[in-house]
Amino acid sequence: MTTHQPGRHDHDQIRSLLPLAAAGALSPDELKAVMEHAAVCESCRREWDVWGSYATGLRQLPQPALPKDLFARTYRRVLQERADSLERRQNGWMLGALGLLSWVSSFVAWIAMRAWTGGTLDVFGTNLVDIGPWFLISTLLTWITAGSAAVALGNQRHTRRFQ
Amino acid sequence: MILAASMNAEAPDTAESALAGLKRGDSRALETVMGQYQHRLYRFLLRLTQDTAAAEDLFQQTWLRVIEKIGRYDARREFTPWLFAVARNLAIDYLRQRRETSLDAPQESGIAPGERLAAAGLDPLEQLLEFERGSMLAAAISELPVIHREVLTLRFEEEMKLEEIAEISSIPLSTVKSRLLRAMQSLRGRLQ
Repeated sequence: MTTHQPGRHDHDQIRSLLPLAAAGALSPDELKAVMEHAAVCESCRREWDVWGSYATGLRQLPQPALPKDLFARTYRRVLQERADSLERRQNGWMLGALGLLSWVSSFVAWIAMRAWTGGTLDVFGTNLVDIGPWFLISTLLTWITAGSAAVALGNQRHTRRFQ
Repeated sequence: MILAASMNAEAPDTAESALAGLKRGDSRALETVMGQYQHRLYRFLLRLTQDTAAAEDLFQQTWLRVIEKIGRYDARREFTPWLFAVARNLAIDYLRQRRETSLDAPQESGIAPGERLAAAGLDPLEQLLEFERGSMLAAAISELPVIHREVLTLRFEEEMKLEEIAEISSIPLSTVKSRLLRAMQSLRGRLQ
């Protein structure tokens, strides 16, 4: 009767693969080599069993309990965050639309004022219906309006959150 | 038992309908998906951080990030690794900020599990099997570096494929294998 005597090199190499064999992380060829060697090497077979016990233990660790209300708290927070995000986006669009409307109405008003005044409206030596002064004044009014709206929206949101 | 079953079940990847609903902003879909992953995600975060308060906070942050990024999620990819990658990145950022230590450094602890087992003279593993193998293993795992805890929990508790672990951790497959090998050897070394 002949028995397979594995070389030291094979033995060490196979032994180093045993943790991965227990973890199911070897390729089919590697696993086949491990199985063939373990069939004739008592020491590696025992070692494989030990690694197998570790693998089983790792799959059966005590499970942590989910903290009370974590699901509900998270769900509420996500919904709130989504609603806030939607509101921020809507507010952004609204402010953008208001800004655009303001520019358009300012431009229309400028044309109307020029037509009505014949292109001259002197106040303290400045022609207010010239493009420069008109642009300056309308920009100032636009920013004041937009700033007030932003502050009002911010206050409204803050109040609602802490109600 | 039910809890363990729900955590370890080889759940199919989240249904396409739920994901589509999540993308549309459907609250019911969000509830479904959150319900499906709540135990696994919390467990994963707890294993990484070893801190219940941090795990809870990261759990919430993960879902906030999911809602923020779901529009960019490619439905051809599996949802589970994507979700765990989001959670993992948040946890790693948190650990880096908190500790300023290397993620592959072992965790500090008091008495090593091996010392706790030394008294009887039995093989440590036999003793573990006989008494409280699970909790002792868990204690030993908690002393491993984060990257080792990560790969062990993803492989054995989440039962993920090596390719999925590679995707979650953003590392090559060969690195997953070497980390898994070192993690197991390190774990055994701590118990002997």
